[in-house]
Amino acid sequence: MKYLLLIFISFLLGGCLAAEPPADPFAGMRMADGSVLWEDEYRFTPPPPPWQLLTLDEEDYSVAFFRGCRKEEPGNYPCESTLAYAEEPFGYSRDLEERQEEFFRRFLWAARVDFEKPSLKKTRALGGEALQADTVGHERVLGHKVLVRVIFAHRGERIVAFYFTQWRPADEEFDQSQLKALENFVGGFTFTAPSFYEKLVTRQD
Amino acid sequence: MEGHQRNLYLYDRFNARVAGVSRDEVSTLRHWSDQLGLSFPLLGNPTGYLGMDLGTQHKGVPMFSRRTVVIDKWGQIRYSEKGSPDYREILRLLKQLHEEEEKR
Repeated sequence: MKYLLLIFISFLLGGCLAAEPPADPFAGMRMADGSVLWEDEYRFTPPPPPWQLLTLDEEDYSVAFFRGCRKEEPGNYPCESTLAYAEEPFGYSRDLEERQEEFFRRFLWAARVDFEKPSLKKTRALGGEALQADTVGHERVLGHKVLVRVIFAHRGERIVAFYFTQWRPADEEFDQSQLKALENFVGGFTFTAPSFYEKLVTRQD
Repeated sequence: MEGHQRNLYLYDRFNARVAGVSRDEVSTLRHWSDQLGLSFPLLGNPTGYLGMDLGTQHKGVPMFSRRTVVIDKWGQIRYSEKGSPDYREILRLLKQLHEEEEKR
Protein backbone atom coordinates (compact mmCIF):
# COMPACT_ATOMS: atom_id res chain seq x y z
CA MET A 1 0.00 0.00 0.00
CA LYS A 2 1.34 3.38 -0.90
CA TYR A 3 0.99 6.31 1.42
CA LEU A 4 1.90 9.89 1.41
CA LEU A 5 5.26 9.96 3.06
CA LEU A 6 6.31 12.72 5.34
CA ILE A 7 9.97 12.81 6.19
CA PHE A 8 11.60 15.14 8.58
CA ILE A 9 15.22 15.52 9.36
CA SER A 10 16.06 17.13 12.59
CA PHE A 11 18.10 17.71 15.66
CA LEU A 12 16.97 18.93 19.04
CA LEU A 13 16.50 22.62 19.47
CA GLY A 14 15.73 24.41 22.68
CA GLY A 15 13.44 27.35 23.17
CA CYS A 16 13.20 30.06 25.72
CA LEU A 17 10.90 32.76 26.98
CA ALA A 18 11.73 36.42 26.75
CA ALA A 19 10.09 39.07 28.89
CA GLU A 20 8.89 42.22 27.19
CA PRO A 21 6.84 44.82 29.05
CA PRO A 22 4.77 46.64 26.39
CA ALA A 23 2.97 49.83 27.38
CA ASP A 24 -0.48 48.47 26.57
CA PRO A 25 -0.26 44.91 25.36
CA PHE A 26 -4.02 44.61 24.95
CA ALA A 27 -4.69 47.81 23.02
CA GLY A 28 -7.61 47.26 20.69
CA MET A 29 -8.43 43.88 22.21
CA ARG A 30 -10.32 44.98 25.32
CA MET A 31 -14.01 44.16 25.52
CA ALA A 32 -16.57 46.21 27.44
CA ASP A 33 -16.40 43.85 30.43
CA GLY A 34 -12.61 44.16 30.72
CA SER A 35 -11.87 40.82 29.13
CA VAL A 36 -9.54 40.54 26.16
CA LEU A 37 -10.20 39.01 22.74
CA TRP A 38 -6.85 37.45 21.88
CA GLU A 39 -5.99 36.55 18.30
CA ASP A 40 -9.73 36.50 17.51
CA GLU A 41 -9.82 33.07 19.10
CA TYR A 42 -9.49 33.29 22.90
CA ARG A 43 -11.35 35.44 25.36
CA PHE A 44 -9.98 35.84 28.87
CA THR A 45 -9.45 38.30 31.68
CA PRO A 46 -5.74 38.97 32.10
CA PRO A 47 -4.39 38.54 35.63
CA PRO A 48 -4.02 41.92 37.36
CA PRO A 49 -0.65 43.70 37.83
CA PRO A 50 2.07 42.90 38.75
CA TRP A 51 1.35 40.12 36.25
CA GLN A 52 2.49 41.24 32.82
CA LEU A 53 2.19 39.75 29.37
CA LEU A 54 5.13 37.74 28.09
CA THR A 55 6.20 37.91 24.48
CA LEU A 56 7.18 34.44 23.37
CA ASP A 57 9.83 33.31 20.97
CA GLU A 58 8.57 29.75 20.92
CA GLU A 59 5.31 28.06 20.03
CA ASP A 60 4.75 26.07 23.19
CA TYR A 61 2.51 28.72 24.71
CA SER A 62 -0.44 30.54 23.17
CA VAL A 63 -0.53 33.28 25.79
CA ALA A 64 1.57 33.70 28.92
CA PHE A 65 2.05 36.06 31.84
CA PHE A 66 4.90 36.71 34.20
CA ARG A 67 5.36 38.33 37.60
CA GLY A 68 7.99 38.80 40.23
CA CYS A 69 8.14 37.35 43.68
CA ARG A 70 6.43 40.23 45.41
CA LYS A 71 5.32 43.57 43.98
CA GLU A 72 8.61 44.47 42.39
CA GLU A 73 8.89 44.32 38.62
CA PRO A 74 10.33 42.53 36.91
CA GLY A 75 10.95 39.47 39.01
CA ASN A 76 14.38 38.05 39.21
CA TYR A 77 14.98 34.35 38.86
CA PRO A 78 14.66 32.33 41.03
CA CYS A 79 11.86 34.45 42.42
CA GLU A 80 9.27 34.66 39.67
CA SER A 81 6.00 33.14 38.48
CA THR A 82 4.47 32.37 35.12
CA LEU A 83 0.92 31.63 34.10
CA ALA A 84 0.09 30.42 30.63
CA TYR A 85 -2.35 28.80 28.28
CA ALA A 86 -0.86 26.31 25.84
CA GLU A 87 -2.64 25.02 22.80
CA GLU A 88 0.04 22.36 22.34
CA PRO A 89 1.24 21.20 25.75
CA PHE A 90 4.12 18.74 25.86
CA GLY A 91 3.14 15.15 25.18
CA TYR A 92 0.85 13.73 22.54
CA SER A 93 -1.82 11.52 24.08
CA ARG A 94 -5.45 12.60 23.89
CA ASP A 95 -6.12 10.94 27.25
CA LEU A 96 -5.81 13.32 30.19
CA GLU A 97 -3.90 11.02 32.54
CA GLU A 98 -1.52 9.72 29.91
CA ARG A 99 -0.90 13.26 28.71
CA GLN A 100 0.14 14.51 32.14
CA GLU A 101 2.69 11.67 32.39
CA GLU A 102 4.14 12.59 29.01
CA PHE A 103 4.01 16.26 29.87
CA PHE A 104 6.16 16.01 32.96
CA ARG A 105 8.84 14.10 31.07
CA ARG A 106 9.46 17.27 29.05
CA PHE A 107 8.24 20.20 31.11
CA LEU A 108 11.10 22.41 32.35
CA TRP A 109 13.46 19.85 30.90
CA ALA A 110 15.92 22.58 29.96
CA ALA A 111 15.92 23.79 33.58
CA ARG A 112 17.05 20.34 34.80
CA VAL A 113 14.13 19.94 37.17
CA ASP A 114 13.33 16.73 39.03
CA PHE A 115 9.60 16.60 39.70
CA GLU A 116 7.96 14.97 42.68
CA LYS A 117 5.15 12.57 41.73
CA PRO A 118 2.27 14.89 40.76
CA SER A 119 -0.93 14.76 42.78
CA LEU A 120 -3.87 14.48 40.39
CA LYS A 121 -7.38 15.78 40.85
CA LYS A 122 -10.31 15.57 38.46
CA THR A 123 -11.80 18.96 37.84
CA ARG A 124 -13.62 20.91 35.16
CA ALA A 125 -12.32 23.51 32.73
CA LEU A 126 -13.39 24.89 29.35
CA GLY A 127 -16.83 23.42 29.92
CA GLY A 128 -15.69 19.83 30.23
CA GLU A 129 -13.76 17.36 32.31
CA ALA A 130 -10.20 18.29 33.14
CA LEU A 131 -7.28 17.06 35.20
CA GLN A 132 -5.33 19.17 37.65
CA ALA A 133 -1.75 18.10 38.39
CA ASP A 134 0.17 19.65 41.28
CA THR A 135 3.81 19.05 41.96
CA VAL A 136 7.08 20.59 43.09
CA GLY A 137 10.20 20.41 40.99
CA HIS A 138 13.73 20.60 42.33
CA GLU A 139 16.67 22.11 40.51
CA ARG A 140 19.39 20.58 42.61
CA VAL A 141 22.44 22.14 41.01
CA LEU A 142 21.52 25.76 41.71
CA GLY A 143 19.37 24.96 44.74
CA HIS A 144 16.04 26.21 43.39
CA LYS A 145 12.56 24.77 43.46
CA VAL A 146 9.41 25.35 41.46
CA LEU A 147 5.77 25.00 42.42
CA VAL A 148 3.77 23.73 39.46
CA ARG A 149 0.08 23.40 38.77
CA VAL A 150 -1.07 22.28 35.33
CA ILE A 151 -4.70 21.92 34.31
CA PHE A 152 -5.21 19.65 31.31
CA ALA A 153 -8.49 20.10 29.46
CA HIS A 154 -10.10 19.17 26.17
CA ARG A 155 -10.49 21.35 23.13
CA GLY A 156 -12.23 19.32 20.47
CA GLU A 157 -10.22 16.13 19.95
CA ARG A 158 -7.07 17.55 21.46
CA ILE A 159 -5.74 18.37 24.88
CA VAL A 160 -4.76 21.87 25.90
CA ALA A 161 -3.31 23.04 29.20
CA PHE A 162 -3.05 25.93 31.62
CA TYR A 163 0.25 26.23 33.48
CA PHE A 164 1.33 27.93 36.65
CA THR A 165 4.93 27.92 37.84
CA GLN A 166 6.48 29.68 40.79
CA TRP A 167 10.24 29.59 41.28
CA ARG A 168 11.88 30.08 44.64
CA PRO A 169 15.25 29.42 46.26
CA ALA A 170 15.09 25.96 47.86
CA ASP A 171 15.01 27.40 51.40
CA GLU A 172 12.14 29.86 50.82
CA GLU A 173 8.41 29.25 51.12
CA PHE A 174 6.09 29.24 48.13
CA ASP A 175 3.34 31.84 47.95
CA GLN A 176 0.31 29.62 47.38
CA SER A 177 -2.00 32.64 47.17
CA GLN A 178 -0.75 33.30 43.63
CA LEU A 179 -2.58 30.16 42.49
CA LYS A 180 -5.75 32.22 42.70
CA ALA A 181 -4.63 34.04 39.55
CA LEU A 182 -4.58 30.72 37.69
CA GLU A 183 -8.00 29.76 39.00
CA ASN A 184 -9.48 33.09 37.88
CA PHE A 185 -7.76 32.93 34.51
CA VAL A 186 -8.99 29.41 33.77
CA GLY A 187 -12.49 30.17 35.01
CA GLY A 188 -12.87 33.09 32.61
CA PHE A 189 -11.17 31.54 29.59
CA THR A 190 -13.34 30.76 26.58
CA PHE A 191 -12.91 30.14 22.87
CA THR A 192 -14.56 32.49 20.42
CA ALA A 193 -13.75 30.50 17.27
CA PRO A 194 -13.07 26.88 16.32
CA SER A 195 -9.46 25.79 16.62
CA PHE A 196 -7.24 25.15 13.62
CA TYR A 197 -7.71 21.41 14.20
CA GLU A 198 -11.48 21.64 14.48
CA LYS A 199 -11.59 23.51 11.19
CA LEU A 200 -9.16 21.08 9.59
CA VAL A 201 -11.28 18.01 10.27
CA THR A 202 -14.58 19.67 9.44
CA ARG A 203 -13.35 20.87 6.05
CA GLN A 204 -13.49 24.53 7.05
CA ASP A 205 -9.74 25.09 6.80
CA MET B 1 9.21 14.99 17.03
CA GLU B 2 6.50 15.28 19.62
CA GLY B 3 4.47 17.41 17.25
CA HIS B 4 4.43 14.62 14.69
CA GLN B 5 3.49 12.09 17.38
CA ARG B 6 0.67 14.41 18.46
CA ASN B 7 -0.62 14.60 14.89
CA LEU B 8 -0.42 10.89 14.02
CA TYR B 9 -4.19 10.45 14.22
CA LEU B 10 -4.58 13.24 11.67
CA TYR B 11 -1.88 11.80 9.41
CA ASP B 12 -3.84 8.54 9.51
CA ARG B 13 -6.97 10.33 8.39
CA PHE B 14 -5.10 11.89 5.50
CA ASN B 15 -3.56 8.55 4.51
CA ALA B 16 -0.08 9.80 5.34
CA ARG B 17 2.82 8.20 7.19
CA VAL B 18 5.73 9.90 8.86
CA ALA B 19 9.35 8.81 9.33
CA GLY B 20 12.30 10.63 10.81
CA VAL B 21 15.78 10.40 9.33
CA SER B 22 19.05 11.44 10.91
CA ARG B 23 22.71 10.47 10.70
CA ASP B 24 22.56 8.78 14.12
CA GLU B 25 23.09 5.08 14.65
CA VAL B 26 20.01 2.95 15.14
CA SER B 27 20.84 2.29 18.80
CA THR B 28 20.89 6.03 19.49
CA LEU B 29 17.61 6.52 17.67
CA ARG B 30 16.03 3.62 19.53
CA HIS B 31 16.96 5.18 22.85
CA TRP B 32 15.69 8.58 21.76
CA SER B 33 12.45 7.11 20.43
CA ASP B 34 11.88 5.24 23.68
CA GLN B 35 12.56 8.34 25.74
CA LEU B 36 10.07 10.39 23.75
CA GLY B 37 7.57 7.56 23.39
CA LEU B 38 7.49 7.80 19.61
CA SER B 39 5.54 5.19 17.69
CA PHE B 40 6.62 6.09 14.15
CA PRO B 41 9.88 4.95 12.56
CA LEU B 42 13.18 6.75 12.91
CA LEU B 43 15.70 5.84 10.27
CA GLY B 44 19.45 5.95 10.76
CA ASN B 45 21.45 7.09 7.75
CA PRO B 46 25.04 7.38 9.09
CA THR B 47 26.55 7.73 5.62
CA GLY B 48 24.34 10.72 4.95
CA TYR B 49 23.41 9.98 1.35
CA LEU B 50 19.75 10.77 1.90
CA GLY B 51 20.67 14.19 3.23
CA MET B 52 22.75 14.82 0.12
CA ASP B 53 19.74 14.00 -2.02
CA LEU B 54 17.45 16.27 -0.06
CA GLY B 55 19.87 19.14 0.46
CA THR B 56 20.28 18.78 4.20
CA GLN B 57 23.85 17.53 4.30
CA HIS B 58 26.16 20.50 4.27
CA LYS B 59 29.87 20.16 3.68
CA GLY B 60 31.90 19.64 6.84
CA VAL B 61 28.86 19.29 9.09
CA PRO B 62 28.42 15.91 10.83
CA MET B 63 24.65 16.06 10.92
CA PHE B 64 21.70 16.89 8.72
CA SER B 65 20.14 20.30 8.93
CA ARG B 66 16.50 20.20 9.84
CA ARG B 67 14.10 19.82 6.93
CA THR B 68 10.60 18.49 6.32
CA VAL B 69 9.83 16.76 3.05
CA VAL B 70 6.45 15.52 1.88
CA ILE B 71 6.38 12.91 -0.87
CA ASP B 72 3.09 12.05 -2.48
CA LYS B 73 1.95 8.51 -3.21
CA TRP B 74 3.30 8.79 -6.73
CA GLY B 75 6.80 9.54 -5.43
CA GLN B 76 6.82 13.25 -6.18
CA ILE B 77 8.25 15.67 -3.64
CA ARG B 78 5.41 18.07 -2.93
CA TYR B 79 6.93 20.02 -0.06
CA SER B 80 10.43 20.66 1.20
CA GLU B 81 11.06 23.28 3.86
CA LYS B 82 14.07 23.80 6.08
CA GLY B 83 13.93 24.63 9.75
CA SER B 84 11.47 23.59 12.44
CA PRO B 85 8.38 21.88 11.05
CA ASP B 86 5.37 24.09 10.46
CA TYR B 87 2.88 21.48 11.59
CA ARG B 88 -0.17 23.41 10.53
CA GLU B 89 1.18 24.04 7.05
CA ILE B 90 2.06 20.35 6.80
CA LEU B 91 -1.41 19.29 7.89
CA ARG B 92 -3.07 21.61 5.40
CA LEU B 93 -0.93 20.15 2.63
CA LEU B 94 -1.61 16.55 3.68
CA LYS B 95 -5.32 17.28 3.67
CA GLN B 96 -5.05 18.81 0.21
CA LEU B 97 -3.04 15.84 -1.11
CA HIS B 98 -5.52 13.43 0.37
CA GLU B 99 -8.36 15.25 -1.36
CA GLU B 100 -6.40 15.10 -4.62
CA GLU B 101 -5.92 11.37 -4.10
CA GLU B 102 -9.63 10.85 -3.60
CA LYS B 103 -10.43 12.68 -6.83
CA ARG B 104 -8.09 10.54 -8.96
